[in-house]
Amino acid sequence: MTSESSTGTPDQNDLKLRASIDRSLRHPVMFFFASGAAWLAVAIILGFIASYKSHDSDFLSGIEFLNYGRAYPAHINLLFYGWGCQAAFGLIVWLLARLSRSECRSTGIILTAGHLWNFGIMAGTLSILAGRGSGKPLMEFPPAIWPVLLLSYVFITVWSFIQVRCSYGGKTYVGQWYLLAAVFWFPWVYLTGHLFVFVFNGHPVMAAGINAWYKYALILLFFTPVALGTAYYLVPKITGRPIYSYSLALYGFWALAVIGPWAGMQKLAGAPLPQFMPYVGATATTLILIPGIAVGVNLLMTLRGHQAHIVASPSLRFTIAGIVGFLLLGLTGMALNTPATLKMTQFALTGYGFEVLAVCGFFSMCAFGGIYFIVPRITRREWLSRRFIGWHFWLTTYGILTVVVCSIMGGLFQGAAQEAYRSSWSDAASLSYAYNVGTTVAWGLIALGSFFFLVHLLLMWARLGKRSQHPTLLDGGHHEESPHGPDHEAEELQPAEA
Amino acid sequence: MKSLPMAQTMRQRNSNLQKPESMTFKSFIVALGLSFGIPWFLIILVPFGKMRNLEPVYFETENDGKDEIYVPRRSGLITTGSSVYGANGCYICHTQLIRAGYAGSELGRADWAGFQIKDENGVSVNTARETTPFDYGDEPFAHIGLMRIGPDLTNVAGRIEKYLKEPLTKAKSPESWLYLHLFNSSLKTKTLNNSFACPPQPHFFKERPLYGQGSPNAVPGLSQEGKEVLPTPEAKALVSYLLSLRKDDAVPYSLNYSRDKKKAD
Repeated sequence: MTSESSTGTPDQNDLKLRASIDRSLRHPVMFFFASGAAWLAVAIILGFIASYKSHDSDFLSGIEFLNYGRAYPAHINLLFYGWGCQAAFGLIVWLLARLSRSECRSTGIILTAGHLWNFGIMAGTLSILAGRGSGKPLMEFPPAIWPVLLLSYVFITVWSFIQVRCSYGGKTYVGQWYLLAAVFWFPWVYLTGHLFVFVFNGHPVMAAGINAWYKYALILLFFTPVALGTAYYLVPKITGRPIYSYSLALYGFWALAVIGPWAGMQKLAGAPLPQFMPYVGATATTLILIPGIAVGVNLLMTLRGHQAHIVASPSLRFTIAGIVGFLLLGLTGMALNTPATLKMTQFALTGYGFEVLAVCGFFSMCAFGGIYFIVPRITRREWLSRRFIGWHFWLTTYGILTVVVCSIMGGLFQGAAQEAYRSSWSDAASLSYAYNVGTTVAWGLIALGSFFFLVHLLLMWARLGKRSQHPTLLDGGHHEESPHGPDHEAEELQPAEA
Repeated sequence: MKSLPMAQTMRQRNSNLQKPESMTFKSFIVALGLSFGIPWFLIILVPFGKMRNLEPVYFETENDGKDEIYVPRRSGLITTGSSVYGANGCYICHTQLIRAGYAGSELGRADWAGFQIKDENGVSVNTARETTPFDYGDEPFAHIGLMRIGPDLTNVAGRIEKYLKEPLTKAKSPESWLYLHLFNSSLKTKTLNNSFACPPQPHFFKERPLYGQGSPNAVPGLSQEGKEVLPTPEAKALVSYLLSLRKDDAVPYSLNYSRDKKKAD
């Protein structure tokens, strides 16, 4: 297609290297994506059940395990740890190996640690459903589980960290900063959260404060950098264009690093702990829009004039949805945490809407973008069905948008009714009814979308994908150049090497 | 830009993405550590240490009329009950926080933060007060709560005593009110109005055949022909914990942020 493969040997070597990196990572990366997608499906079904119960308390009321108070935490924990973290691991391991241009030599350990992680998730989820959860939001797994998860985390990501360390000094990409930051911050956040809540004996209100901080730290210092690192890798790669502005990228990155760690304690505004802490948290959350705009402008400007790629490439389409999700996250973070609105949103459905927007609307969309890009490379097969990808995209996008809008709107009405302290309390309790019904329907749509995704991914894992050299494009047309970038020619090298 | 061949674009991209300044791996990690470490130190580590050993609060002679240390009055199966409360996800819908006036309006809602009572001179006094750091005594974790789909429970034990005086209630004691609520929240009153639809939690109860006069622990209002319903130990702990949630003990003047607070004579 281009002159690269025919003229220079360095380019040949380059393609060989990429192919060998992909081959070395096939099993661990596919394992993380597939088990993540399976947990995502379970999380979504639990979300549907929990949401259904919030407007019809008799739904499945005979089954103790699926009580609202157990299905809901299981749903949130699986969304974060079962799907989110595992998708992030797959992305981190593959992207950092590619960006530091070195093969992975520890796939066996990564796979073993990955199984350990899944075992922890399974044990934790069953404990929650059996009524043995710890009762601390987003830390509901029993206290015995977190050391297991932390240990497997270390063995999954330490190799990527070493890879970057060894190759550092040559080319450093924007995506690399974000991924490296995520790898570095996660254990600190995770260890702080669990040590201060479960191990150290402190004041109960402070424990609740650290718990609230932990949720935001996990979103802003782990999921956000992984998603942005993926987006910063994919956008220039697929369009074959440099990033619009290097200094804007630098600014956006450090803005997130400086603002992110302060957010979260606004959940405790008005509680008996030092007054500045919740309001610092609220301020930091409103400021997330700053990195949001920096990243959004940078990536969308890079894409300007490349409509054809956006229409054609599934990866790019999901990535753009994710970037828009990040902008929306910044906007809602700002709207929901002003002194006037915080009173209403502190204890309302809005918090749920914000979490779903962060994990599903922003992170998952970027992760799907990455998965649609990576899986054909590591399995050396193409996606089977354009329709499946399209359905996954539209059902997920509309579903998540509905959940977010319903939760935030319903939550605002609910919160306003709570603040109207002279009116009856039952106003506040009944106002969110219609929005809860909307949320239930939307989780149904998302479940359908993720079913297509899961089936498609499992077929790819079974290597039943198309043996084609042309990537699966959504518009069905033939393109002169591959929207996945020139490295797709790795396919052509394959017979020579095998 | 669009007309450039792919190879040229690639080369340009590589040169553009290279970091122009020489930030080493070490300095990058140090910068990451600082940007995270400073807030971590200021909002996690230092406040944790300070809150760990709160100074005790005293009743003072000039304000409270007595001179002694304030010990929050609370009894019941608090540690066990608190963990049952958490394990069953009560904190998702119910909060336990009366926010200070600048942050929310719970202080104004009837019976949530205290009561409108008559003092010994017949003067109406509002005992509503915001949550203090001592209200979560004996609990390892403050169940602040997430979404407040149900009402706040800070003063639930006090409110239940009020509900028992309602003519339509089926409950005979605070315990039985809570057992009815847990078994099926629509059974508490004789009306069909079930606007506070807490999900039924029948797993907290055991049904068994009725022998003789039956067990004194059986929940009144749930027994049917030849059968009685007994609460499990978990349900007992939970109910005991919930009945310890009340806002009616006297707090020292210095800790009381109520607008209607008065100094002792």
